[in-house]
Amino acid sequence: MSATPAKEKRTGRTLVEELAAIVGEDGVVSRPTELKVYECDGWTVEKSAPELLVLPRNTKQVSGVLKALHRRAIPFVARGAGTGLSGGALPIGAPVMVCTSRMNRILAIDLANRRIEVQSGVVNLNVTSAVRSRGFFYAPDPSSQAACTIGGNIAENSGGPHTLKYGVTTNHVLGLELVLPDGEVVELGGAAEERCGYDLVGAVVGSEGTVGIVTRATLRLLREPESRRTILAAFPDVDSATRTVSAIIASGVIPGAIELMDRLIIRAVEEAFHVGLPADAGAVLIVEFDGYAAGLDERASAAVEIARRYGATDSRLARSEAERALLWKARKRAFGAVGRLAPNYATHDGVVPRTHLPQILREISAISERYGLAIGNVFHAGDGNIHPIILYDERHPEQVRRAIDAGRDILRACLAMGGSLTGEHGIGAEKMGEMPLMFSPDDLLAMAALRRVFDPGERANPNKIIPRPGACVEVAAPHRQVPV
Amino acid sequence: MTPTEATRTRPEREELGQQIQRLLGAGRAREPIAPEAAACEVVVEPESIDEIRELVRKCETDRLTVAPLGSARTLSEIRTSRVAFGVSLARMRRVIAYEPGDMTIVAEAGVTLGELNRLCFEHRQRLPVDPREPDRTTVGAMVGASHAGPTRLSEGTVRDLLIGVGFIGHGGRLARGGGRVVKNVAGYDLMKVMTGSFGTLGIVVEAAFKVRPIPENYSLAVRRFRRDTEAFEAAATLNEALAMVHLEVLSPGPSAALGYDYDWVVMAGFAGNRAELDYQRAKIVEVLGSEADMLEGACAESSFASLRDMDFPADGLVAQIAVKPAELARCARECSGEYRAHAGSGVAQVWFEEIGEGTAEQTVTRWREMARRAGGSLRVLRAPETMRAEIEFFDRPSDGAFSLMKRLKQTFDPANIFNPGCFVGGL
Repeated sequence: MSATPAKEKRTGRTLVEELAAIVGEDGVVSRPTELKVYECDGWTVEKSAPELLVLPRNTKQVSGVLKALHRRAIPFVARGAGTGLSGGALPIGAPVMVCTSRMNRILAIDLANRRIEVQSGVVNLNVTSAVRSRGFFYAPDPSSQAACTIGGNIAENSGGPHTLKYGVTTNHVLGLELVLPDGEVVELGGAAEERCGYDLVGAVVGSEGTVGIVTRATLRLLREPESRRTILAAFPDVDSATRTVSAIIASGVIPGAIELMDRLIIRAVEEAFHVGLPADAGAVLIVEFDGYAAGLDERASAAVEIARRYGATDSRLARSEAERALLWKARKRAFGAVGRLAPNYATHDGVVPRTHLPQILREISAISERYGLAIGNVFHAGDGNIHPIILYDERHPEQVRRAIDAGRDILRACLAMGGSLTGEHGIGAEKMGEMPLMFSPDDLLAMAALRRVFDPGERANPNKIIPRPGACVEVAAPHRQVPV
Repeated sequence: MTPTEATRTRPEREELGQQIQRLLGAGRAREPIAPEAAACEVVVEPESIDEIRELVRKCETDRLTVAPLGSARTLSEIRTSRVAFGVSLARMRRVIAYEPGDMTIVAEAGVTLGELNRLCFEHRQRLPVDPREPDRTTVGAMVGASHAGPTRLSEGTVRDLLIGVGFIGHGGRLARGGGRVVKNVAGYDLMKVMTGSFGTLGIVVEAAFKVRPIPENYSLAVRRFRRDTEAFEAAATLNEALAMVHLEVLSPGPSAALGYDYDWVVMAGFAGNRAELDYQRAKIVEVLGSEADMLEGACAESSFASLRDMDFPADGLVAQIAVKPAELARCARECSGEYRAHAGSGVAQVWFEEIGEGTAEQTVTRWREMARRAGGSLRVLRAPETMRAEIEFFDRPSDGAFSLMKRLKQTFDPANIFNPGCFVGGL
């Protein structure tokens, strides 16, 4: 389908006035020029601006807003910082967007119990910043952590490099305050480890904004490890690097993180940040061990030895915290650096069993050739979570199409190897069409039933995750507009 | 309409068994033995997913209740009336896939944790969940009852390790969530919903887990204290200074049962390579003093096994509290019974060896209020059969959460056949 049909507005003046009465005049945005910013998140292939944006400051306001929408049966989409990479915050049939960015208060720090309570609009990195001087940290650390919000992390069940050892968001959320789509506020879980009854917190985390809006969360804090050793190892090709990954983990220790960057990414990062990555390497691994200082040297030298055995041409240890920070800066900003190589890029998020990394990377290379598009790889190698970055130019509609198809082929290859469509970015709008490849109709039926427990009217972030039977193409196509 | 739970006569039970034989084949139904007999009237032993589907469809059509049994220990302790069919998965105990390189394992729900871990041990790996008696704990029971033990402190619980689940639910449909990879956010997290659902949403038939490496060395420090406050203070100091594998404080009863004097005892497990072990041992001696026993190797392993397998009194009142970790010491003391406390996790099993007729409910209420004040909840694990009816086994969540739970139960089990009536709020 080439054009989006003219939409009939579902948000009239009375609604704008009613919402303004709840959140204040400055909390409602209705001017199309201002709404343009909200037409997509980090998944830029599809765009669709909301009719209205609401910026509540607290739970009561969120509840008031959702009640007003409930009375009119108007669907809505929640948005944190809009850094999501699967179109989770893309409005598809949701005229109203509720943005949590003003709900950015840390409510309570309880170090005796290693808990922190935050509003959902708090930026991920600010959680760790609030407790670092006391020797604690919040483990999930997505690359966008300087911008992304805890609410967004909860919606997507976000990960990050250090989740290899410490787990993803769901392992660190103990309690939630959730505003249901009808405006009712419910408390789920709490500060204790065990829950009463069904694990609804576990059901909400990763539900991609389709069960309501999380307004507050109780998170688990961890003790900062006493010390770290960060190794940069260079390899002639990705094959030897990925084999090293499996061998290090098979040696019986889970490192804090193992990240891989291939030639294309190394080049982009080097040009952008000059961190001294070996420009002639086919791939580099960043391997980090953390724990007691006492045992780390032994662990690091064992890993260096494994890397050498699998073909590393060079391995070096970060000599200072500054050097370590530079390596991680390079890794976390790799996506930004790629922006220098092409006008646009699409990041994917498939998962394969770790031992299949060599095969999937060969497959990605073949797909890159087949579609004539450069694809870079920078990813969480330790848990088999790949992030192929497909470079394209959105001014050429045909390239956009090839980029979409190449991405699909990669995900299908992941599934064929026993993997998953997504390790941490979510299904969103992007991969909804692929869900039936991974799950049976009965699986999807059970998932849809779970969603309706919270949202019987399916008004929270509609048209996401689960394609309607036989209608996935119709759902996705009108919004898959090709920007010009 | 609630399916009938009235006790059937022997001929009626035999007739039910015959119906199952006709439906699924000879040898698929048998009389329950103890402890199954307290939980169900007929035991069904299906051989395949398809047979379970048939069984569930029959139960929905004929309004007969059904519950997954495991080894029937948990179910026999929490049910006040019997379900018609207890499903034993003793014939569905295949390990479907173990990939040491990927550190994942997929198994049918009838496999025991002990079997899984013997397999993983060949590759120096383990599924680090440590409920009592792993050879009597099936995968299905472990998921359904969210069984956990001391290593929850360092390795988390089932919910942290379960990466995929398949269950037979409403309509006899097989629904799977997750997959076989260690990181996966595709679709809704059915694993979380099934973990700790006590068979009330369907019958788990297979599960996939992450496994972890077995540490190079494991040691156990044991130190007796004359006062509970000293024991808990020592545990808290250790938890601040080190990342312990597990950290238990036992009251005098269980302490004596494990062969220590009638004192409070701290059992602190630690692990790592030689350098890490030496470092931790030195720190532990600083905190616990040189009189602490340092167990290593097989000796440490067997002491750990005794700690893990420790049973609670058969005729007593046993409960598990889960509170804010810093409140655990106070709560354990205020329970005024015996306890095994997982310091650092905020979880403890507390019990009275004996409980006077008519006082169980009062005790549970007192414990529960105390746990709530400490930011947590209480679940009764075991109570004398005569007193069960008066006790609410599961703590109630907030009203809003509970109404979602009711909806969840109604949505997943509209015929109300799956282990009804014994879960939170009577679900």
